[in-house]
Amino acid sequence: MLSIFKSIPSHMDYKGQKLAEQIFQGIILISAVIGFVYGLIIEQFGWTVYIVLAGFVLSCVLTLPPWPMYRQNPLSWQPIIPETSAEPSQKPQEALKKKKHK
Amino acid sequence: MNTVLSRANSLFAFSLSVMAALTFGCFVTTAFKDRRVPVDIHVSKVMLKNVDDFTGPRERSDLGFLTFDLSQRPPVGQLLVVPIFDWNVKQLFLYLSAEYATRSNALNQVVLWDKIVLRGENTKLSLRDVKSKYFFFDDGNGLRANKNITLTLSWNVVPNAGILPLVAGSGHVSLPFPESYETTKSY
Repeated sequence: MLSIFKSIPSHMDYKGQKLAEQIFQGIILISAVIGFVYGLIIEQFGWTVYIVLAGFVLSCVLTLPPWPMYRQNPLSWQPIIPETSAEPSQKPQEALKKKKHK
Repeated sequence: MNTVLSRANSLFAFSLSVMAALTFGCFVTTAFKDRRVPVDIHVSKVMLKNVDDFTGPRERSDLGFLTFDLSQRPPVGQLLVVPIFDWNVKQLFLYLSAEYATRSNALNQVVLWDKIVLRGENTKLSLRDVKSKYFFFDDGNGLRANKNITLTLSWNVVPNAGILPLVAGSGHVSLPFPESYETTKSY
């Protein structure tokens, strides 16, 4: 069952991750301030908790799934070079390994 | 911040830290409040008996029965209004205790009655002709003809977050007990 969850792509690029983090921190802080003031006014701390919980759920919905706005700056990977000659690429690695052992 | 789980983890941890800061803020806003309310205690009837006390070492001990009223000091229609419920108070625990001195002990304190007032319940309590809830046993025969027995109403404020203040002695009254047994003394 876990393989189904792992196969859903959930990556964001780096600017997207920064944006997601700023979004959820902002939402939770704003809902905390609103909740604190509202609870202070109506004299019930339970409402403060409910408002912060609502902010938590909202930021879950906004930042957990990989929305397209978090994928605006994808990294430009190099094009794949097909492996035509395998040996020349292995030999320098072996030479490096021998140097490290000494 | 690459997978859903790590994002969820940091989101949840941030929410909990913010919640802890809010709870601390809640505590700070009510930490220095004065929670005393002046209360009038009026005792209407006292009766004294000398009975076998099976919980103690002696043969017979003094047992007192009290009937009293509690009301607010600027008399508000004889009801006990409790205006100290704010957003950090979960419940109140009121108790009435009697303090006196005898020949064998310098100080005795006995709790006679208590009540738990929850938040959201009726905060105007009608406390007239309340009988004592717990046995007022003395360790011996020290209650008879005792000149001075002091009744004090104290309360405990149970908060949502913070210290539990024990507010002692909002009001107290001293009264002498009857001279002989099985006689009711009215005040």
